[in-house]
Amino acid sequence: MVKELIKGNYAIAQAALNAGCECYFGYPITPQTEIGEYLSLKMPAAGLAYVSAESEVAAINMVLGACSTGARAMTTSSSCAVSLMQETLSYAASDELPVVLVNVMRAGPGLGSIYPAQGDYYQSVYGGGNGDYRMVVFAPSNVQECIELTYKTFYVAHKYRTPVILLADGLLGQMMEPAEFTEYPYPPVDNSSWALSGANGREGRKICSYGPDEQKHIQHVKDLFEKYKLISEREVMFEEFMTDDAEFLLVGFGSLTRNLKAAVKSLRNKGIKAGMFRPITLFPFPEKRLFELAGQCREVMTVEMNMGQMYTDVRLAVNGKTKVSLFNPRPAGEWLSVEEITAAVEKSMEKVYAGI
Amino acid sequence: MLVFETPKAFKKDFKYSFCKGCDHGVAIRLIAELIDELGLKEKTILTTSIGCSVTMYDFLDLDCIEAPHGRAMAVATGVKRARPDKFVFTYQGDGDFASIGLAESLHASLRGESLSAVCINNTTYGMTGGQLGPTTLMGQVTTTSPKGRNREYYGYPIRIAEQVALCDGTAFSARVALDTIPNIRKAKAAIKKAFEVQLKGLGVGFVEILSTCPTNWNMSPEKAHERVRNEMMKVFPLGVYKDITEE
Repeated sequence: MVKELIKGNYAIAQAALNAGCECYFGYPITPQTEIGEYLSLKMPAAGLAYVSAESEVAAINMVLGACSTGARAMTTSSSCAVSLMQETLSYAASDELPVVLVNVMRAGPGLGSIYPAQGDYYQSVYGGGNGDYRMVVFAPSNVQECIELTYKTFYVAHKYRTPVILLADGLLGQMMEPAEFTEYPYPPVDNSSWALSGANGREGRKICSYGPDEQKHIQHVKDLFEKYKLISEREVMFEEFMTDDAEFLLVGFGSLTRNLKAAVKSLRNKGIKAGMFRPITLFPFPEKRLFELAGQCREVMTVEMNMGQMYTDVRLAVNGKTKVSLFNPRPAGEWLSVEEITAAVEKSMEKVYAGI
Repeated sequence: MLVFETPKAFKKDFKYSFCKGCDHGVAIRLIAELIDELGLKEKTILTTSIGCSVTMYDFLDLDCIEAPHGRAMAVATGVKRARPDKFVFTYQGDGDFASIGLAESLHASLRGESLSAVCINNTTYGMTGGQLGPTTLMGQVTTTSPKGRNREYYGYPIRIAEQVALCDGTAFSARVALDTIPNIRKAKAAIKKAFEVQLKGLGVGFVEILSTCPTNWNMSPEKAHERVRNEMMKVFPLGVYKDITEE
């Protein structure tokens, strides 16, 4: 395979096809609209289902219906429109359906702007729907990962029968970068024990979240969390950059971590032993490894383009082992430069070395 | 000779859960008979939605998915697009189909999805205890229109079968009732047509059933059927509003 220059949104769309996506349901919203445009060209021609839904509410419910048959189905959207989907994501979690959702984040709250931001961490990781449930969340940092994590999103959703989010942002969706369409590396998942196909030679199957029997319902919620525990043990993903001897740890997710790496290099040139830790799965959060690394660091600094959402999970993971700070000068829609991140670390390190 | 038996589409151990005199029982029976007669059980995927209608999956031995409130036609669209060889129908109340789910219902009809839909219109929200809904008649007292529906506060009821018939992707749309034996027979014929247009791939087949809610109307089953005849049919006339197989 050769690398080609490709836009993030197109990379996600083609990766979904490579992953065997049979059905796409979507509604336009910037900055992810190219995904639907691309698939509207490719899918009907290949005999696959493409529906321009009347709303995001309809789109996610079409995905729910398609997934109930075991089909690989997806919708893509952005921020305020993903808010519209939350009720059905809660149903999908309770129904244990392999819903795939791509959120190419805008800057919120409300309509906000179309520029890169990371304000949907809480909505994705803690869920915007009702009741006790979690969703697996993958956060790519470049176009190559948009491809590979789209593959993984489909696989994990079907393997564990649970809704999964690919959380990108406007920068990743819109930028072009060399990337390679590797082959879809995962085995097929057998869904014959649960998927709806008609009650042929067996009893009818019921996929629902509604249960008037409270004891069964209590057990159902507990079972869901046993599954999330299993996912946490098996599927956690993270990247470390120059952490071996790091005394100062930068933590971030998504596209912004490209600049964190550059900042680490710049700080190393100045003699500061910096490193970077990047959760790739935001849920399950790589808390064990982060706790270990915190033990060797004087400070852990979370850098985000929001008001400090992952900061919550970082503090929980570090659990008082060392100082945790937050650098988030512009929370909605403007990029953070390598220079300002480097300067923030230097300023903070002065305090650390001065014992303040 | 056995002259009356339970349709095979019913579960063997189903427990009747509707209020006495409610028309849901008759409607579900008709659907079950048709699933038997058309030989659809093995290829059916049913979509129920929220309200009293959701409990249909406790009666029928079919594959079924529960849609969030109002979203049955969107969920059914997803099922059908994923598995075009299956027979997919929704069973919904008027609040579900024509209030919270109006967009999904009409857009599925505009797209001409190969789906069938049965909507129970009883002029109220039954499961939650009798509130004003999209089909509540002018003057009707409900728990949220204690002095009766009027234009100033509540506006007007929706005529569902006519609205669905206006959509170009609709193949069949009819309004029926279950108050008399002849009307029950006509209802069955209409549901059969709504099923058949899907099987022929002609578009949406829709049936609105004027139904009783004796509990929330605070009436005997007999009086409730009188209300269907004397009040509901005046606002919601019975009939076939669209049938492209006749055109």
